[in-house]
Amino acid sequence: MGIEPGRLQFSWVSSAESTKFVEVVNAVTAAVKALGPNNNFVKTLPKVA
Amino acid sequence: MSDWEPKIVAFLCNWCSYGAADLAGVSRMEYPPNIRVIRIPCTGRMSPKFFLAALREGADGVWVSG
Amino acid sequence: MGLTKRKAAYVEYAQAVPLKYCISADECIYLQKGKCGACKKLCPTGAVDFDQHAETETLQVGSVVLAPGFAPFDPSRFDNYQYANLPNVVTSMEFERVLSASGPTQGHITRFSKDKREPQKIAWLQCVGSRDLNKCDNSYCSSVCCMYAIKEAVIAKEHLGDNLDCAVFFMDIRTHGKEFERFYDSAREKHAVRFIRSRVHSVTPAGEDDLEVRYVTENGDVQTELFDMIVLSVGLETSPQVIDLARRLNIELTDGKFCTTSTFHPVAASREGIFVCGAFQGPKDIPQAVIDSSAAAAAAGEMLSAARDTLTQTREVVPETNITNERPRIGVFVCRCGINIAGVVDVAAVRDYAATLPYVEYATDNLYSCSQDTQETITQIIQQKKLNRVVVAACTPKTHEPLFQETLINAGLNKYLFEMANIRNQDSWVHKNNPALATKKAQDLVRMAVSKVVLMESLKEAELDINPTALVVGGGISGMAAAKSLARQGYETHLVEKTEHLGGQARNLFRTAKGEDIRAKLDQLIDAIQNEPKIHVHLNATLTGVDGFVGNFKATLASNGSEEIVEHGVAIMATGASPLVPDEYCYGQDPRILTSLELDRKFMAADPLLKKLNTAVFIQCVGSREPHRPYCSRVCCTHAVDNALQLKRLNPGMNVFVLYRDIRTYGERELTYKEAREAGVIFIRFALDSKPQVRIEDGRLLINVTDHIIGRLVELEADLLILATAIIPNRDEKLANFFKIPLNEDGFFVERHAKLGPSEFATDGVFLCGLAHYPKPIDEAIAQGQAAASRAVTLLARKTIFTSGTIAETNPVLCSRCGICVSICPYSAPSFREEGPFAGRAQINPVLCKGCGLCVASCRSGAIHLKGFDNDQVFAQIFTLDEAV
Repeated sequence: MGIEPGRLQFSWVSSAESTKFVEVVNAVTAAVKALGPNNNFVKTLPKVA
Repeated sequence: MSDWEPKIVAFLCNWCSYGAADLAGVSRMEYPPNIRVIRIPCTGRMSPKFFLAALREGADGVWVSG
Repeated sequence: MGLTKRKAAYVEYAQAVPLKYCISADECIYLQKGKCGACKKLCPTGAVDFDQHAETETLQVGSVVLAPGFAPFDPSRFDNYQYANLPNVVTSMEFERVLSASGPTQGHITRFSKDKREPQKIAWLQCVGSRDLNKCDNSYCSSVCCMYAIKEAVIAKEHLGDNLDCAVFFMDIRTHGKEFERFYDSAREKHAVRFIRSRVHSVTPAGEDDLEVRYVTENGDVQTELFDMIVLSVGLETSPQVIDLARRLNIELTDGKFCTTSTFHPVAASREGIFVCGAFQGPKDIPQAVIDSSAAAAAAGEMLSAARDTLTQTREVVPETNITNERPRIGVFVCRCGINIAGVVDVAAVRDYAATLPYVEYATDNLYSCSQDTQETITQIIQQKKLNRVVVAACTPKTHEPLFQETLINAGLNKYLFEMANIRNQDSWVHKNNPALATKKAQDLVRMAVSKVVLMESLKEAELDINPTALVVGGGISGMAAAKSLARQGYETHLVEKTEHLGGQARNLFRTAKGEDIRAKLDQLIDAIQNEPKIHVHLNATLTGVDGFVGNFKATLASNGSEEIVEHGVAIMATGASPLVPDEYCYGQDPRILTSLELDRKFMAADPLLKKLNTAVFIQCVGSREPHRPYCSRVCCTHAVDNALQLKRLNPGMNVFVLYRDIRTYGERELTYKEAREAGVIFIRFALDSKPQVRIEDGRLLINVTDHIIGRLVELEADLLILATAIIPNRDEKLANFFKIPLNEDGFFVERHAKLGPSEFATDGVFLCGLAHYPKPIDEAIAQGQAAASRAVTLLARKTIFTSGTIAETNPVLCSRCGICVSICPYSAPSFREEGPFAGRAQINPVLCKGCGLCVASCRSGAIHLKGFDNDQVFAQIFTLDEAV
C-alpha cells in the first residue's frame, strides 16, 4: 500500500511506567521523523481551476 | 527538512498507556509535543481503519499503545 | 525518608489523593517564627489558612478497626553493618525509593556516597531485625523481606542491565506466596541473581566508599567479598506509639508485639468490638493485608448490620433534559489550574480559539474548574445558555471525569454528553519549555474533543436489582466462614458441599501451631452454620449449570439424584484443595511411612504407638517446589515443625529429624521453629538435586541424606517417616466455565488482582477464598472467607447496580452471524439471539460488557457500535487532527 512500516508503532506500557512512556514517545517521534513527511497516503484535494 | 516536525496520533489504552501519560505529567517529565492522544477504552478497540484514516488525514505516524 | 529535601509546602507524593499541597508545621517559617507567610499572599484562591489547629473530636461508634501498620526496623544500632556510618549501606525501604520513578533519583540507581556513581555490585543482607534474638528482640520472621529483596534485585538488574551483579545473603528463602516461588526461580535462573546461604558477620569500609562483606560459608570457611552498595533487608515491627495505643485500648499483644488474635477469629482483638488488620495483626505482605482488611470490615459489619443504612443521606436528583433532535450547543470550559496550565499554555488563546469552533455556543476559562464554586457556576451556565454538550479542557479524565459528569447531572444533562481535553497532564506539564507548541497542542486537543462531543448521545445505564442471596461453593472452613459472615450480615446464603459433611480438609487436622484444638473449634463452627436460619446447607450437592450474571444468577444443583434451581445475586468459590498422594520415598510400601495428615489422624486417635518411637523423620517439600509443581505449599513447614515438637513432648527421648530445603515458618510461626530446635529436633537441609533416599531393607526403614554442615552422607533408621505432601487444588474446569473465571497453570483460581483484589474475580459478582486461591493455614483461610463475604456485601448492600453506559451494542440488521464477537469476547457478553425476527444474530448483554471494543474492531459487518467510543466519534477526532487538511 506504500506505507512505510515505521509509520505504525505498537508498544505496551503499564500505567505506572511513566519513564518508559517518555522513552517510547521519544523513540516513536524519532522514528517517524527519520521517515520524513507522510506523502504517499494523504488525501489530496482536487485542485480547483 | 531539519525544522520539520512530524505529527503523530497516539491511540492510548485508557487503563495502561493513558495512565502512564498522565503520570509522566505528574512527574513533570518532558517529551516532544508531536503526539496527539486519542483515548480508547482498550487497544482491542483499535481498528486498521483508524490507522488508515489518520494517515489519510495527514498524520505522519500512528502509535498504538496498550 | 529524609533522602532529599523538600519545601515546607509540599505534596505528600505524586499519586496522593487528593493531590493537594499541605504545609509542614515544624518547618514552616511563619508557623515557627511568625514571619514570611508568602504562600498565603501568593495563593490565588486563598486556600492557605494558618489558623488551623489540631482538634480532639469524640465519635460514637459501634466497633473499631485497627490498621496502624508497621515501622521498618532501624538498623542504626547494629554496629557490625555500620548503617549509621557508611553512606552506601542503605535500608531496603530507602532502596525502594531509589527504584521508584517518583523517588529522589527518578528511578535512577546511584550510590549514596558523594561519587553518586552507578553501582556494579549490590548485596542484600536478609533478616536484619528479624529472626534475631541476640542483637534485637525480634525473634519472629518478618515474612516479606525475602520476596522484596528478590524483587529489588530483579528490578535493579532491569534498570542497570545484566552486568549488574546482585547477591542475596540469606538463611532460608521464604517465597511462600502465590507465584513467589516462580519469581525466585526466574531471579536465580533467568536474571542470574546470586543467592548465598549465610548470615553476614560484618561489613567494613574498603577503597573509595566500597564495602567489604565478611561471611562464613556453609562448610565453615570465612570469605570476604567487595560490593559497591549494601541493602539491609529490614524487618517489620510495631512502633512504640502503636504499642502505647494498644495499652490504652486494653488489647493484648503477642511476644513479638503484634495484636493477639486466635486462629478461628483471625481479625478479632482480645477486646470485643475491636478488630485488626494489616501488619499489626502480624508481619505480612500486601495481598494478606488486603484480605485482612476486608475480613475486619466484614467482622465489624456483622456487629453493625442492624444499623446498616440508618445514617445514609439521600441526594436530590435533577430530572434529565431530553436533548434528542436538538442542535448541538457546546460549552467549552478551559481550566487555568492556577499556573499549572496557564503558566505554559496561553489559556485565553485556547478559549478564544474554542469559541470559533462549530457548534460552540459558549467558551470561557476558569481559575480552577474543579473547585466547588466553579462547579456551581458551570451548572448555572449550562442551564442559562441551554447547553447540551460540554467540553472541559483541564487535567485528566482519569481523575476528574466523574466530578464533571456529576456537574452535568446536577445541571440536568446526561453525563455522557461530555468530553475532556487533557491539556495539563499531557500538555502543559510535559512541554513547559515550549509554550507556543503547547498552546497549539491544547487547541488541537480542544478541537478534537469538540468534534467528538458533537456526536455524543445521552446514554442509559440500565438499573438492575440485585438478588440479596449468596451462593457459596464448598463447605470447608473458608466457605463456612464466608457463609457465616454473610448470614450474620443479614443475607440468605446457600452453602453447597459435594461430600456428605461440612468441614473440608480441617477435619483431618489435629491442632494449630498456636496449640488450639481444631476439631473442637470446627464442630462449634459447623453447629453455628447448621443453627443459622439464613444458611441453607446442601450436602452431596454439585453445580450442574449456571445461568445469568451479577445480581441475577441461576444455579442448578444436583443432589441425591434430584435437581434444584437456586437463584442468587453473588457467588463465592471456596472449592478447596486436596493432599497429594506421593509416588516417591517408598510411600504405600510400608505402614511406617505416612503423610502429614495421616500423622495428624494418629495424634487425634491418641495412638499409643507414637510414644514408643525411637526415631521419627520428616521429609519436606514432597511434591512442592518441584519443576512440575513449582509452588510452595506454604503450610507444611509449620505443620511439620509443630508435629515434630509434639512428638518430642510425648517422648522427649525420641530422635526427631526434619529433612528440609528451606524452613518457611513465616511470621510468629518462627517461634515454633525456634522452640523445636531448642527441644532437640534436628534439622538437616537437602538440595533438590540431592533428595533423601528411602529404602526398606530387612524390615528396617532407612533414609540416606547428605548433611549440609558436615558435608557427609548420613543414614537414619526410622520407626516413622512423615512426608509433607503438597496441596493440590481441586482444578474445577466446569465451575470455571460456569462463572467465566480463570485457572492458573497449577489449577488455582486467578483472582482479580494479585495484590489489590485477592478475594474476588474480574467477573462481577464472583468471589474467591480458601485453598482454591492458594495453600494457606486455617487463620488465613477464615480471614479470606470473611474477606470474600465482605467484598460480596459491597454489592449486595447496594440493592441495585447500574451498568456502564459506554458499552457495545449490535445492529441485528447488519449482523452476518459470523460468530467472531461471540468467540473473541473475554467476558462472554455477545451471544446469538435465540428467538424473534433476528434469531441467530448476535446480541450483547449490557451487564457483562466491559466496553473494551474488541468485538467492534473484529466485526466484519460493522454491526457493532461502542457507545461513547464509536467509529464516527473516533473518526471525528482523527478528521480534526489537523485543520489544514
